[in-house]
Amino acid sequence: MNPTRSIRPAALRRLFLLALACVGVAHAAWPVTVVDDLGRDVTLSAPPQRIVSLVPSHTETVCALGACERLVGRDTWSDFPAAVATLQDLGSAFAPDLEAIVALRPDLVLVDEYSGAAEALAPLGLVVYAGTPQRLDELFVTIDRLGRLLGAPTEAALLAGRLQGELDGVAAVVAGLVGPSVFYEVDPSPYSVGPASFIGTLIDMAGGRNVVPEGLGDFPLIDPEFVVAADPQVIVLADAPYGVDAAAVAARPGWGAIAAVREGRVVELSQEQSDVMSRAGPRVGEALLLLVGILHPGAF
Amino acid sequence: MRRLGRRRLATPLVASIGVLTLLLIVAAGVGSVRIPAGDVLAAVGRGVWGSLAEVRIGPEAEATRVIDTIVWQIRLPRVALAALVGAALGLAGAGFQGVFRNPLADPYLLGAASGAGFAASLAIVSGGAFGLGLLGVPLAAFVGAAATVALVVALARRGWSLPIVPLVLAGVVVGSCLAAGTSFVLLAAREQAAGVLTWLLGSLAFASWARVGTLLPPVLVAGAVLITAARSLDVLQLGERAAAQLGLRVEWLKLTVVAAGTLATAAAVSVAGVIGFVGLVVPHAVRLALGPDHRRLVPVSAVWGAGFMVLADLVARTVIAPAELPVGVVTALVGAPFFLLLLRRRVAP
Repeated sequence: MNPTRSIRPAALRRLFLLALACVGVAHAAWPVTVVDDLGRDVTLSAPPQRIVSLVPSHTETVCALGACERLVGRDTWSDFPAAVATLQDLGSAFAPDLEAIVALRPDLVLVDEYSGAAEALAPLGLVVYAGTPQRLDELFVTIDRLGRLLGAPTEAALLAGRLQGELDGVAAVVAGLVGPSVFYEVDPSPYSVGPASFIGTLIDMAGGRNVVPEGLGDFPLIDPEFVVAADPQVIVLADAPYGVDAAAVAARPGWGAIAAVREGRVVELSQEQSDVMSRAGPRVGEALLLLVGILHPGAF
Repeated sequence: MRRLGRRRLATPLVASIGVLTLLLIVAAGVGSVRIPAGDVLAAVGRGVWGSLAEVRIGPEAEATRVIDTIVWQIRLPRVALAALVGAALGLAGAGFQGVFRNPLADPYLLGAASGAGFAASLAIVSGGAFGLGLLGVPLAAFVGAAATVALVVALARRGWSLPIVPLVLAGVVVGSCLAAGTSFVLLAAREQAAGVLTWLLGSLAFASWARVGTLLPPVLVAGAVLITAARSLDVLQLGERAAAQLGLRVEWLKLTVVAAGTLATAAAVSVAGVIGFVGLVVPHAVRLALGPDHRRLVPVSAVWGAGFMVLADLVARTVIAPAELPVGVVTALVGAPFFLLLLRRRVAP
């Protein structure tokens, strides 16, 4: 909420990333080794030219690092940037088409650490990086690691610097604005987001007050009664693309009394907006701007 | 007379093994990447003659290496694993239905599936088990399944006897309790929920020779025990009291069959997740087609179970490629109508 709190470490981080980039340029020697989220050493002896990404946020990051044309395959849900639509579809991250992946002869495969794909693909002689950023700080770690693996440490430092700049810029603009309390609905169970999660951090930076308290985890299942009692001023429906709308929320027992429902501040996200919010990738600035627009309508 | 009887037992088994062999060959030849039959056979030949490891250079060698990897490290272990899992579930189903003398018995009756599911979901959520990372998940599932059945047996036993009704009730109750635990884990750890669900629905997607190797010994042991017990299971169908009067050690038989069935089930579940319907329906299908003699029922159930799983997995991985259907969905979707057809034809005059 207090923007000065986040600016100083961010500036430090930018300096650190720049320094890292200089080191990277000075020692752009192969082989390169990074450690992934499973704690495995991932070693490449040359810059990868045939990359498979089974995680939408990795697909976006690879493209943002200027390596889009080095992608040869993607998972079903990778749909941004538009250029990746023509890549071969290799199924979902949790049950990928192993035969088709091997047939593509990739020199680097990017997977989610919980999907089990790393355990299946590595024995086939493929180089696999496992790990999806779940939090904002992990996004910057991932950009740095992918940058080194792709032989693009400078691009990675520039991207990280640009994203940090976008976040800082928005944070500076919303400084001093009193934001509303927010309930962010991931699905109608209802699942929400904790303050430390990627989306939770963005809500905080956008000047919103997440009604979900700390200590429940990043994606807690919330008692509907709790939401009624917390009386959020804004409800964001990330599940709107899956058929939940403001009318359905208003019809839930007791929810008609919630301030957001009474004042018509139940916001339905589009599929693309929902994707931008849920992927910890290079569109993080866009995600933050989207939230600011929702939380402070008419302020600018 | 004796020779005739033996032949009558052997003929369906030999025929079934023949059909299974054909199915294995077809399944190894079909996949999401289209490889001509000749190239598949050539790759199999290279593997058999031990020339896979030869260093080859150039684009053509690269293509050969890709085919070798797909055939030897993805398709063949997957087909072999499907066959072994199906055999294990068929064996366990035949054993459980025999020992419970109940057509609704299946390998998961005593809580093996819910025990494995709970242990596996805990292992996945905590990022692995036994210090082995996600490779520890199969071990956790095996221990979970075996421990659950052991607990159920311990709860139901009266001294040295194992009454059937308390056993089944204890299995259902303990199973419900652990299933609730799994649901709780799923709700509490949303990030990993997709991974847990994929495991629970059952999948052969990440098959490997290592998994085939760990599954083979328990299936062989369980098969040997159950085939040895087949004659006693026939006697048991007369009723426990009658069987005891004929000199059968009823309690010992029940314990061995439950133990062997659980060994096969736990091993199958640990490598492939919870795949339903096979263990329930395959022994029924065999019984409808060949009659209730356990000396035939037990081994043929293993072979038919293997064939059915290979077929179901073939459908699962090809019909909506590159996406994959959960194989448990296919076993029920393909199995139910087939079974109903069999039932109708049997009942009709």
